[in-house]
Amino acid sequence: MSTLHVLSHSPFSDTRLDSCLRILGRGDALLLCGDAVYALQQQSSTLEDKTVFALEEDLQARNIECPQWAVAIDYPAFVDLSIQYDKVNSWL
Amino acid sequence: MKFAIALYSAAHAPSSRRALRFAEAALAGGHEIVRLFFYQDGVHSASSNIVTPQDEQDLAQQWSTFVSNNQLDGVVCIAAALRRGVLNNDEAARYQRPAVNLQAPWELSGLGQLHDAIQSADRLICFGGP
Repeated sequence: MSTLHVLSHSPFSDTRLDSCLRILGRGDALLLCGDAVYALQQQSSTLEDKTVFALEEDLQARNIECPQWAVAIDYPAFVDLSIQYDKVNSWL
Repeated sequence: MKFAIALYSAAHAPSSRRALRFAEAALAGGHEIVRLFFYQDGVHSASSNIVTPQDEQDLAQQWSTFVSNNQLDGVVCIAAALRRGVLNNDEAARYQRPAVNLQAPWELSGLGQLHDAIQSADRLICFGGP
């Protein structure tokens, strides 16, 4: 069963992203929105081998360029992803 | 596809706006929203007493319009609402409070409505936090 993990907290303010990565399954994906998109700026390569999506409007609002290994999406694509994956887990 | 959407944050939180944009995109994509459930601080998004500065988006108003226009089931958790002072006519009268700030299209109900929505939906999507 695949899960789309949705994060909106900054990776610099708490350990949600670390906890999420620890339990991330093989078929799972990450969707970064809000301040969570700052995770794309980290120099470490912890995310590069994962399936990572980021909300385009949040990237634009923070002037962050989407790296090649991630995919920038809009809301219709967010809806599609929530269907493509069996469950959506929001890290509230 | 049937969606149940739960919102845990107030109207001034970016996640409230994200939830609304997601809900709009879901309907635009031909999907169904079986219920919107406003829980914890999400109950503030249903308050009719919110005054938003003119140069900012009035998310509470946008939510209300969205629910009305699409004739959706907008349920506000009654326990979460009472403890945050979000009252409809009945509750204001019951507890002798001077103001009513929850009106149509919103409805106060229990957590069972969230459980019920999850059962009848294909996906539950939660929005909250920042």
